Amino acid sequence: MRRGSIFRISLYGLAAAGAVTLVALLIKWLPTSGSRQMDRITFVYWFATAICIGIFGVVAGVIVYSVLHFRVQPDDDSDGPPIHGHTGIEIAWTVVPAILVIAIGIVSAIVLSQNGRAGTNPLHVKVFAQQFAWHFEYPDNKDVKSTELVVPVHRNIRFDLNAADVIHSFWVPEWGQKQDAVPGIDTHVIVTPTRTGNFTLICTELCGLGHATMRAAVRVVSEADFTKWVQEQAGGGGGGGNPGAAAFTSAGCGSCHTFKPANSTGKIGPDLDNLAADAQKAGKPLADYVKESIVDPDAYIVPGYQKGVMPTTFGQSLSAPQIDALVTYLTGSK
Amino acid sequence: MSTVVQPEHHHPATGFDPYGPRPRGPYMRAGWIRAAWCTALFYGLGMGIVVLSRWSFGLSPVLNWTVIVLIGALVMAPIGFLLGLGAFDYWLYWISGRPTRAEDHSGHGAYSWKDYFRVNTDHKVIGVQYTVTVFVFFVVGGLMAMLFRAELAQPGLQFFSSQTFNGLVSMHAVLMIFLFVIPAFAGLANFVVPLMLGAPDMAFPRLNALSYWLLPIAGVMFVSSFLAPGGPFAAGWTGYAPLSTDTPVGSMFFNMGVQWAGASSILTALNFLVTIITMRAPGMTFWRMPLLVWANFTTSLLVVIATPFIAGSQFFVMFDRVMHTSFFVPRDGGYVLGYQHIFWFYSHPAVYIMMLPGFGIVSEVISTMSRKPVFGYRLMALSLVGILVLGFSVWAHHMFVAGMADWLRVPMMISTLLIAVPTGIKVFSWLATLWEGKLHLTTPMLWALGFVSMFVIGGLSGIFLGSVPIDIHASDTYFIVAHIHYVLFGGSVFTIFAGVYYWFPKMTGRMYDERLGKLHFWLTFVSFNVTFFPMHWVGLRGMPRRVFDYSDQFGDINLIISIASFVLGASSMIFFYNMITSWVRGPVAGSNPWRANTIEWQVSSPPPVFNFDEVPQVVGGPYEYGVPGARHAVFGGQHALEEVHT
Repeated sequence: MRRGSIFRISLYGLAAAGAVTLVALLIKWLPTSGSRQMDRITFVYWFATAICIGIFGVVAGVIVYSVLHFRVQPDDDSDGPPIHGHTGIEIAWTVVPAILVIAIGIVSAIVLSQNGRAGTNPLHVKVFAQQFAWHFEYPDNKDVKSTELVVPVHRNIRFDLNAADVIHSFWVPEWGQKQDAVPGIDTHVIVTPTRTGNFTLICTELCGLGHATMRAAVRVVSEADFTKWVQEQAGGGGGGGNPGAAAFTSAGCGSCHTFKPANSTGKIGPDLDNLAADAQKAGKPLADYVKESIVDPDAYIVPGYQKGVMPTTFGQSLSAPQIDALVTYLTGSK
Repeated sequence: MSTVVQPEHHHPATGFDPYGPRPRGPYMRAGWIRAAWCTALFYGLGMGIVVLSRWSFGLSPVLNWTVIVLIGALVMAPIGFLLGLGAFDYWLYWISGRPTRAEDHSGHGAYSWKDYFRVNTDHKVIGVQYTVTVFVFFVVGGLMAMLFRAELAQPGLQFFSSQTFNGLVSMHAVLMIFLFVIPAFAGLANFVVPLMLGAPDMAFPRLNALSYWLLPIAGVMFVSSFLAPGGPFAAGWTGYAPLSTDTPVGSMFFNMGVQWAGASSILTALNFLVTIITMRAPGMTFWRMPLLVWANFTTSLLVVIATPFIAGSQFFVMFDRVMHTSFFVPRDGGYVLGYQHIFWFYSHPAVYIMMLPGFGIVSEVISTMSRKPVFGYRLMALSLVGILVLGFSVWAHHMFVAGMADWLRVPMMISTLLIAVPTGIKVFSWLATLWEGKLHLTTPMLWALGFVSMFVIGGLSGIFLGSVPIDIHASDTYFIVAHIHYVLFGGSVFTIFAGVYYWFPKMTGRMYDERLGKLHFWLTFVSFNVTFFPMHWVGLRGMPRRVFDYSDQFGDINLIISIASFVLGASSMIFFYNMITSWVRGPVAGSNPWRANTIEWQVSSPPPVFNFDEVPQVVGGPYEYGVPGARHAVFGGQHALEEVHT
């Protein structure tokens, strides 16, 4: 290999690596971190990025150099030099990448173990996922129940995940951490929020027709505000609100159904503002029809919709008083 | 058309053979008419079995359409179709002790276009059948992508119901994986491998024919799930239980389609293994085999070992639905993660099933077009074996957030990252093969170089996903979508194009249009990157995969992605135009337009029905470019062999 070619190839390699470095630096690739775990993930991300930019530079440099300098005219029928291999080079490009990936592996393993630690006295939050809604319980805080996820900042939180029907997945992009909620087994994930504000909890495992809309509001607040919120929920919770509306929200009806009183605009199932007309088509009294449709949704299917879409588990997941309250709420009889 | 004219050959439709089976009338003769009524008959038989057994056990309703569709349409009708078409004729004649046509090779070779539409035992005909069929499904799967990209151009639901959207996304992946990438390689290898080995055909030609005809059955089954009551299969191509056991009956079309496609894969892989082990020409040692043959050898081992696992996983899902077993039903003690372990124990090796044959194609193209031997040939072959072995120890990296045993994460991460080593060896060796070569930037070479660059990007994003903490953030987002398309489109599909352009003159005897080929490459290369590169960003910033609706902040970028994807779709029209017109009236190519050394180029284009008039003698390595006087194979037996050595 001539010295001139080494110089040129390094030039191409550096140019390619430089361009990729600019792409990596100028574009904001990750969301602004909102948790200690995401800080560490961001570190691993940059560690791997640096190594990958190096590898990409080498490959791009050689390809560009070869195409520019070794290209021949179609009528040139000469052959290249019969180089069959070089043991030294072959050992080098086996060993060097092995060392690099093992370095990434070690850094990743350390971060993984740190991100899995709950520390002393974590706040426990139970997360319940079902088609297509989230709800939350706070066993350390008077068993408060909520459909909004409210957590204090700078506190280790252990989320215990449960799924009622199919697999869902718990992800707040700014927190980095992700964990599936799996029916039949218990899973958990640790998050230490570092930034107050409003975020979104997104289901990232395809869970059926309403998957795209299965989201929940997340609010990270100061410790004091969190205590205040718990007090409000524990004191006034349930009594003041409409129990039917609460059931409507907690069961996630709005992800699939439009219903004006609840300001929901889901389009997967029938519009619940037209229940009276649908009950007439089904030939049943309104209240009976609504109750049957919740407990046994396939008994009557509104024209234009399909069987087997709505979960059949609401008969078990909602209590009898909740179902009655929901029927009252939906039929509009106060 | 690529039909071989051999006037002195016995033709099944015309000649009468006194020792063969009696000639039959049009309804009883193997072919499409018999296939049609046999399909209907077997559907009826299936329905009869279901109705009779439900009636005799007193089950209600007697007409259970879920089970009738399953047994009648998805199990029995395909068997009837194969029987009618004649895929089992020889074996049934032989089993029943009737005269068979053992020696006249009547099912062999193509004499008119009609011969491509029957059970044909010629590996070259089967190779063409495969290749054309998979591109039909490439178009269908591609159109589905166009449809859901139109839906995704804006947030919110515009054109489809959410069921249809999920169906399109799932079916796009299923068709591209099971009906395009995997069988496209099987098709190319079917044509090329026996020729490369110096063999007259595959080891089991009738099995070969059967394995081809299983494929359209699977394809039609997948696509027709859109006609199923309740809508298509829509649980994602991964079909995670228990979602896939709960969804409408369209799911069964996926469960059973996988069985037919999987059977096709397994039979072909067995055939390749036996062919490669037992039918190499004299002098063709393992260390003289072209790397494409090595690649198909390792791929076939992967297929044979891994494919039964996905077959099992889909049977279990179907049993849960139809027979109310509880493999994956948690409320009855089923184990949900069991599905994912079994599924990925196939589907991760499947990534290499979709990758290794492409590695083989690229080695052929780069060596020939650089006029240089493949750098580090033995390490190239051994790295394939390394990927094969390591490939079975990484499946759970798809499950880092799934809730599996915590201790499994780090070992699976290390083995995943280590796969970068044999893969890196391959990439660096290709680069070293280019070095100081005489590069001919023909269309196949452009695809091969495009493959190396895109595959490196896909490989590097794979390192990010291999690292557990990053994967936890990026899992199930568009980052994954970007990664798999860099690996499977920039990787596998680019190599398929490289292979099709490279062997097009051999398959058809004609040359494609080089200008259109280059236009196809550059248009695809640019629109591919504009489509898929931004998906890395979209995913890391917070957009999950498999959603029809997304946060407004991703609106503009998704519009750009959608527009680029339409250009990408349109670019393949150039390819089809080029292929069809060149096949019909392209210039005659000659037997060896690339001046390649491997044996398939030493016979006419297209090759004679039985490939070789004389058995080739292999006398050296396959890539001895630039070595004065070196040959890979010679014809003419011992005499020629001596000449080379003196």
